[in-house]
Parts: sequence; C-alpha cells; structure tokens
Amino acid sequence: MSLNLRVMTPIRTVWDGQVQEVILPTNSGQVGILPKHASLLTALDIGVLRVRTNTQWVRIALMGGFAKIESDRVTILVNEGEKASEIDPQEAQKTLEFAQLGLNKADGPRQKIEAKLAFRRAKARLEAATQASSSGTSL
Amino acid sequence: MASTTACASAMSAASAFAGRTTDARSQRPCASLPSFEGLASARLPTLRHAPQQLSTAHSKALPQQRKGGIRCASLKELSDRIASVKNTQKITDAMKLVAAAKVRRAQEAVVNGRPFSENLVKVLFGVNQQLQVEDVDIPLTQIRPVKKVALVVITGDRGLCGGFNNFIIKAAEKRMRELKSLGLEYTIISVGKKGNSYFGRRDYIPVESTAECGQTPTTKEAQAIVDEIFSLFISEEVDKVELLYTKFVSLITTEPVIHTLLPLSPQGEVCDIDGKCVDAAEDEMFRLTTKEGKFSVEREMVRTETPDFDANMIFEQDPVQILDALLPLYMNSQVLRALQESIASELASRMNAMNNASDNARDLKKSLTTVYNRNRQAKITGEILEIVAGANA
Repeated sequence: MSLNLRVMTPIRTVWDGQVQEVILPTNSGQVGILPKHASLLTALDIGVLRVRTNTQWVRIALMGGFAKIESDRVTILVNEGEKASEIDPQEAQKTLEFAQLGLNKADGPRQKIEAKLAFRRAKARLEAATQASSSGTSL
Repeated sequence: MASTTACASAMSAASAFAGRTTDARSQRPCASLPSFEGLASARLPTLRHAPQQLSTAHSKALPQQRKGGIRCASLKELSDRIASVKNTQKITDAMKLVAAAKVRRAQEAVVNGRPFSENLVKVLFGVNQQLQVEDVDIPLTQIRPVKKVALVVITGDRGLCGGFNNFIIKAAEKRMRELKSLGLEYTIISVGKKGNSYFGRRDYIPVESTAECGQTPTTKEAQAIVDEIFSLFISEEVDKVELLYTKFVSLITTEPVIHTLLPLSPQGEVCDIDGKCVDAAEDEMFRLTTKEGKFSVEREMVRTETPDFDANMIFEQDPVQILDALLPLYMNSQVLRALQESIASELASRMNAMNNASDNARDLKKSLTTVYNRNRQAKITGEILEIVAGANA
C-alpha cells in the first residue's frame, strides 16, 4: 500500500512519486497521512513537510498552501517548496538571522506583516535543512 | 565612429536627394531607416546641406548618376560603410536568434507551471461550491470604497525591443490620468529596469517600490511583489490593486492589458478594467512552433475540468480558512503568469525588431553595393579613357 504524492509549485514539480507516509504542517497542527486515508482538504502553514519512502524520511520546506487527499492521492500546492537536500544550512541560518533583525526593526502594521512572513519562511527552511543533516530517521 | 559619420552623411544626402526626386530606388533606404535619417538631421545639420549641394552639382554634370542617390562618398568610404552594415546585420541576426531561443524557454516555464494552476483551479471550484451558501468574509476579497489604487507596472529590463516598453508605460500614463480625473489617488509599483528608470526620473509620479525580475521569473520574485501588494492591501493603504502588463498574443502581436488583481473575486475570475471577467478555468497557453522554417505561435484555449469533490470530503479547517490559504496562492500564480507573459512579449518584440533591422540592413547593403560597383566601374572607365587619350596624344 502506498500513497501517490505530488508537491507542486507554480514553476516546477518538487515531488512526484509513491510514498508510504506523509506528515503535513497544517494550520491546525501536524496531520499524519497513511494509505486509505479519508478524503481531506486542508490549508498548510509555512512549515516542514515530512515524507517517508520505506524507512527514509525526507523533509521539504513548504511556504504555505494547501493539501488535498483523495483516494490515496495526495496533492500539495504551495508557493514554494524546497527539499532539505537543496537547502544550504549555513545560508538558511544567515537568512534567519537577517529576518530576525528585520522583525525587531519593523514598525508600522505593514512592515510587521512583511517581516513576520519573512521570518517564518526563514525558520521553516532552517528547520528542514538542519534536521536532515543531523540524522536520517528522527523527526 | 568615422564610418558612422560617413554613413550619416551618406544617408542624409540620400534623404535630401529623395525629397527632390520621385525616384523610388533612392527613396527606399531612407524610408526603411527613419532612425538613420533622424540621427543625421539632429547631429549633422550642416552636413545635411553640404552633400545636397554636392549631389545637385553632380546631377547637373552627370544626369545618369541620379538613380544611385548615395553619391557623395568615396570608394573607400563606401566599402567601409558596406562592411559596417554587414557587421550590424550579423549582430541583429544573432540577437534575433537569441530572442527566439529565449521565447522557447519562456514557453517552457509556462508549461511547467500548468499542473499547478490546473489543480489550483480544481480546488478553488470545489471549495467555492461548499461556500456558496455561506457569507464569506476574507480579507483579500473585501470590497472597500476605493480611495487609492496601486498600479503594478511590468516593463522589461532592456531596450532594443521595438515599442515594447513604450507601450506599457503609455498605458500606465493613460491609466494614471484616468484615475486622477476620477479624483482617486494612486501609487506605482514598478517591475523591470526600464520602468524603474522612467518613473524614477519623474518626481511627480508617486512610486511605492521598484523591483527587478530578470529573464526567468521565479516564485521568489513573484512572492516579493505579492508580499508588497498583500501588505499594502491588508493594511488598507490601498483599496484596489491593478496589474499592468503586456499580454502575449502572438509573435507579432502583443498588447498591454490592465487586470484587477485585488480585491480578488472568490470565484477566481480575472477581470479587466471594463468589468469583463474571464473564468479561471479557462486558460490560454501559447506554443512556439516552426512552420516551413518560420516561427509561428499557436495559442490554444484549455478548459480545465472542474469535477465535484468527493461527497465525503473532510475539511480539516473551516472552508473560509482554506479559501484564505488558497487565494494568496492564486494571487501569486497570477503575478507569476503576468511576469512570464511580459517576458515572452518582450522577447517576441525583440525578435520582430531585430528581424526588421536585419531586413533593413540587407536592403541597405544591396543598394550600397550597387552604388559601390557603379562608382568603381565609372572610375575604371575614366582611367581607361585617360590612358587611351594619352596614347592617342
């Protein structure tokens, strides 16, 4: 039994293939999906998507979107998605620090919204990148 | 530069001459190269008259020389000029091919984004059906009385592409005047170097921010623009956002269009300023093909099927919340699409402009070579006559 997972962004398809398990970063917390899951539609937050193929876990940083599960097909549409292997942890760390600075400096409602979004994106990328480099299977 | 001056003087002579005669052959190079003529008249006002007198003198002495039109240059100048025209033609030919190759790449980018937009539309429709009974309140669809409008103007980064940048800037100017006459405030978000410098030079145009997107627009760039628009709209600094970009119709036709981006309609319709709306499920896509060795474009309408959701579909969150997550995605793909279309249009315009330039260069080279050969022959004949006369004496 397996799931057919497709992760799509406006410019490319990040993942297209069979997987055993998926953990989604939804707006209302993490949701694990196994084969034969009921049909489900959920909004995805900025966060890390975890995918299991056999015993291998792969992390993908997602920048907000939604997921649809229908008869063992998982369709994920996001603005941007990066596999952990594509992210440079040091670069991600720097981006996060930069975003943190921006968040501290931001004043006015507009700047705050922008800075907050940038910060959360940077955090998700770093999370995906560093966990992947520390160990293969842990969550 | 020396050869250019020679060209300019030769051209101005030709144009001045053409004005005095109805000879079609002498008129042709001038008519096809207005920029040369303009250059000559602006920079060399004195030279423009000098060769004219020269050519009148010549035409009196040698009436048969009339046909050439370009008569003032020496053989050396002519051959230099032919060489320079030849070089220019090579450059414009190469630029045309580069642009053609890039149009292909731009098209690939659109094709790669298709699965995404198709699925997005499917879900948008499904969620909408669930929402039809409810009264939705989503920030991005909020219709407020309009006081200030943000115009997102997408231009190119480079010139040498015909009227491409001019057309879109003109469209923006027109829209600004319209808004002003309606008593509305506006602000510009400029994308692309050409627009940035145009609006940057004009202090009276309020510019919110500028951005550049390069030759291959990615989600990152679209995201940056969307973030800007999003925060402007949510913080109620502007009440409407309009997108001005060049729509890619075919390789020869591109047209500037204005689309309302925000407030979004929850049905996922795209509306232009006249209130005409296009269903999001109807999607057009262009494809560059080759027909008998020439480039051509096929534009096909694709209607995405919008099947109903599984009746037992669970909504993890409130449908309103899901729509809230969906619409920014939709907005992003709209902006990205506009960027891609704009790039494709720019490349198509450049292809056209370079094609015309190459054709002009070919014509010019041909007429110059004719003049060169005639002059050379006249010179040889003259020399033979001199020798024969000398021998006779």
